[in-house]
Amino acid sequence: MIEVLRAGLCDLVMDQGRPGYGALGVPAGGAADPLALATANRLVGNDRGAAGLEVTLTGPMLHFPAGGVVALAGARFSATRSSGAAVPWNAPLALAAGESLMLGRAKAGCRCWLAVRGGITVPLVMGSRSTFLPAGFGGYQGRRLQAGDRLPTGEAAAEVSGRVAELAARPDGMALRVIAGPQADQFDDAGLAALFCTPYRVKAASDRRGLRLQGAAATHRRSALPSQGVMPGAVQVPPDGQPIILGWDGPVTGGYPVIAGVIAADWPRLAQLQPGDTVRFATIAVDAAQALAVAADSIGEWG
Amino acid sequence: MTQDFDHSFSGLSPQKTGQRTTAVIWRWVSERGVRLETGEATLARYTALAGLELPEIEDLIPADGNVLLILRRGAAMSADLRQALSLDAASRPESSGTLHQITVEYGGAAGLDLDELAQQAGMDRAAYIHSHSAVEYRVAFLGFQPGFPYLRGLPAALHAPRRASPRVRVAAGSVAIGGGYCGIYPTSGPGGWHLVGRVDVSMFDPQRAAPALLLPGDRVRFVAA
Repeated sequence: MIEVLRAGLCDLVMDQGRPGYGALGVPAGGAADPLALATANRLVGNDRGAAGLEVTLTGPMLHFPAGGVVALAGARFSATRSSGAAVPWNAPLALAAGESLMLGRAKAGCRCWLAVRGGITVPLVMGSRSTFLPAGFGGYQGRRLQAGDRLPTGEAAAEVSGRVAELAARPDGMALRVIAGPQADQFDDAGLAALFCTPYRVKAASDRRGLRLQGAAATHRRSALPSQGVMPGAVQVPPDGQPIILGWDGPVTGGYPVIAGVIAADWPRLAQLQPGDTVRFATIAVDAAQALAVAADSIGEWG
Repeated sequence: MTQDFDHSFSGLSPQKTGQRTTAVIWRWVSERGVRLETGEATLARYTALAGLELPEIEDLIPADGNVLLILRRGAAMSADLRQALSLDAASRPESSGTLHQITVEYGGAAGLDLDELAQQAGMDRAAYIHSHSAVEYRVAFLGFQPGFPYLRGLPAALHAPRRASPRVRVAAGSVAIGGGYCGIYPTSGPGGWHLVGRVDVSMFDPQRAAPALLLPGDRVRFVAA
């Protein structure tokens, strides 16, 4: 059991998501960087699909009455533990009975994932323990954590791994790679030039539903069109020309033109964008992106 | 793969092939996403693709004249899927769908916009309610929120563009008009459609074995309370 002494900005119980319910209007959701969570799970001897915590910008203070083994992956946060010992990333971390773990602010990036040996065993909802905040279900009572919450933990599947698993470094300064969207041909030259040649700033009104961008208006000829299925990474452009990159908990259908789609290999980079960051877009061929996706997934395979 | 690349950048506009004009049928919208143009056959094609139960398909999302197919991470498209995507679905029989009779409390606090809509349609309240409840609707797709159905079949006289400014809060169960669609809000929240009434059934419950009350292809008849 883990007791929440102080909640972070938005601590959410997450696993690998609940894909397959798009036709019911439910997105797959799950950890914004599923491979980072899978890596943390591997370090503590859990199955890949075990639930952990997704921590955003400012982390929680967690108490472990009976101790436990945890692992952190993703963005580095300032972190301390009550024993005063170091808090490593990408390595198993044994906490003594009664010890607490304090996560402060992200030093760079936006999100990290905490796996606990045995996993967080909140009930499965539609096949997943991931929190879906927009409709308030899954995770811990369908909401972000609050002080006083007590998270149940289970039994681990395997031994704690001694290995330090480093995820491949991602080129954070590089453009987000996109495939031209289904409505790219409805944008005029000025609109296309704006999106592909100028930088955009991530606005504060961004969350797991979508990253709202501010920059040169990506103008287009039509403002409304028949609803279409959309997925994370889709770059929607409302009538004001300011793009929205749909996130993990975004709607499954949309009525705004989609100018581009951020490739899945770069979704983990979307997970690390925080308000004020600058992004650029660059196109990539579909077959090149598919090769990248296979390579990225192999990093997360059990070794 | 080269063929797919060409496919994905060929655009949605009809392409001239000799004397014939053929529309693009499918294209990549992400390295894991395929958009299929389905027109009037959306439900039939969605049902047919779902029925194949191909392991590389993670999800299928039908919408308004198109279906989004999402491949599993790292999965490639099989020959079977390629063949299924290129098939003409015109001859496929559409499933009949389950018929739901849903009781609606029309107007008043339950349907704040009914009187205004009736006036715009040149009807009195009773005629509007009769017109709305006399037809059978078909669930074209779900979206916007979990369990929110886009219902086809709204009489043309009742079509109404969305509200200029969305309401901050619409009550769960609200029956609403948006353009040529009728919809039902499963949970309370912001909404830009015109409200004509409210139902007393749970449209979506993630704890149920069948979380969404209505599925694509289902039929709906509204009964005035």
